[in-house]
Amino acid sequence: MAADGPGVAAIPRPPLASRLRGMLSLAIVAAVVVVAYRQTDFDLEALFTGAVDFWRFFGRLVPPLSEMGSNWGTYLPRLVAPLVETLQIAYVGTFFGTLLALPLIFLASANTAVDPISMWVARVLLTVLRSIPDLLWAAILVPILVVGPLPGAVALTLFSVGILAKLGSETVEAIDPGPLEALRAAGAGRVATIVYAVVPQIAATMVSYVLYVFEINVRASVIIGLVGAGGIGFTLQQRLNFFDYTGVGLIILVIFVVVLAIDALSVWARSRLI
Amino acid sequence: MSRTTPTLAIPPTPPHVRRNRVLSIGVAVLSVALLVLVLATMNLPTWQRVRTGLERTLPPLWRGFTNPDWELFPLAFNAMLETFYMAVLGTLLGGVLAFLLSFLAARNLLGGTAKAAPGKALLVAIRTFPEILLAIIFVAAAGPGPTAGIMAMGIHSIGFLGKIFSDVIEGIDPGPMEAIRAAGGNGVHVFLYSVVPQVLPEFASNLLYRFEINLRAATILGLVGAGGIGGPLIQRLSFRRWDEISMILIVIVGFIVVVDAISSTIRRRLV
Repeated sequence: MAADGPGVAAIPRPPLASRLRGMLSLAIVAAVVVVAYRQTDFDLEALFTGAVDFWRFFGRLVPPLSEMGSNWGTYLPRLVAPLVETLQIAYVGTFFGTLLALPLIFLASANTAVDPISMWVARVLLTVLRSIPDLLWAAILVPILVVGPLPGAVALTLFSVGILAKLGSETVEAIDPGPLEALRAAGAGRVATIVYAVVPQIAATMVSYVLYVFEINVRASVIIGLVGAGGIGFTLQQRLNFFDYTGVGLIILVIFVVVLAIDALSVWARSRLI
Repeated sequence: MSRTTPTLAIPPTPPHVRRNRVLSIGVAVLSVALLVLVLATMNLPTWQRVRTGLERTLPPLWRGFTNPDWELFPLAFNAMLETFYMAVLGTLLGGVLAFLLSFLAARNLLGGTAKAAPGKALLVAIRTFPEILLAIIFVAAAGPGPTAGIMAMGIHSIGFLGKIFSDVIEGIDPGPMEAIRAAGGNGVHVFLYSVVPQVLPEFASNLLYRFEINLRAATILGLVGAGGIGGPLIQRLSFRRWDEISMILIVIVGFIVVVDAISSTIRRRLV
């Protein structure tokens, strides 16, 4: 028998329980995937048969080479103002998001919270803020506030509060408790304890997180215009409505370049920090 | 004068701390100045306009959000289920493609930083390209529906997953690989018995994490016609049906919170 061979006998098999568990989880995942495939009418075939249309569509995004210079030359200057507005929205959202997140960070951290009730209220609030994606916040706020950059800035503020306070309170909960205890033992008040024991420990990490959130906000601010919240996304939506695909292609290219540049800048700044 | 004694016990602030303090005050002043500049040049509506808008929208909004329309619950739940399925398939698609690409971006398998550079650059480019723009492209090219959303999510997820996967591959312990080779195993054995067992838990955990992100992303893909709950939501937003909007939002938030809790429990047990 093969089982008597030295090679096979030498490799022990994993215990039955863990093998069963592995097979069971694989079966569950496979079942979910099959149901998902059926329910969404996911059409792999259409992708391959539609591939010709797909590439033709890509072709329409780019103007013919002979007209590229004049076409892009007239378009690009018109994109400057919406692009500036996009960055303004991202900046305002990050600024006020950071400002509002600061008190929530300390309210939501177990080691600096005032009392359990306010801690849980803060945590639930942050969970709700984060569960709703930024574009959705913008879509909800556009009918409430006036169409334009204002709902965009408010949407990014709300979403930034959610992420920043969550990341911040995780950092606060991981600090060295020594200074905290020392200041409390010396009779320092709540604010003094936070300022002298917590802030010095988290400052560098928090600045890095703020830059990270700015990065996220730039990415969001280029698209929230799709629902009417200002910035270059709004211009994109107009071009789409006019079926002006060369315009759409150029805007997509500009967005890509800007996001790439801001990302690189932010990664560089963060690497200098820590 | 007795009050001066305890202050003497505190040593003077060291120079590097003072320098940092000056630096951070400088940064704070600069960012406030930039904010003032941005707010002054931004195309903001007048307070008067905002207030009349709020006076008109807030009462119906409050009425709608305090009385969610439960009759819409089945529709909202089914749409959210479709969103969930989209996220499953998008993550799976992204995972499979990222798995293949990650080996082309792993330094230790390719034998050199330069050889992995093109793969890594490709991953950065994919990661930077906004998902919703991919969705717009797929909707325009392949028609509206969940397939466009799944494709957008699948392609976009490659960037994140490929990076994580290649990082994981770069971090594996070479010991088991050498051991199997020394015991006479061939390339397939090395891959199956030393690479796969080492990377599998990390891969699965990050796949789940990406799934959590994709579930959130999938709720908005419907805004551009790429399937999921965003479609019914954007219709109601344009008609300001706040009682129905609040119902949809309750379903989105509730669903995401529950799935997040389950997923993070599994992730903790995996790694």
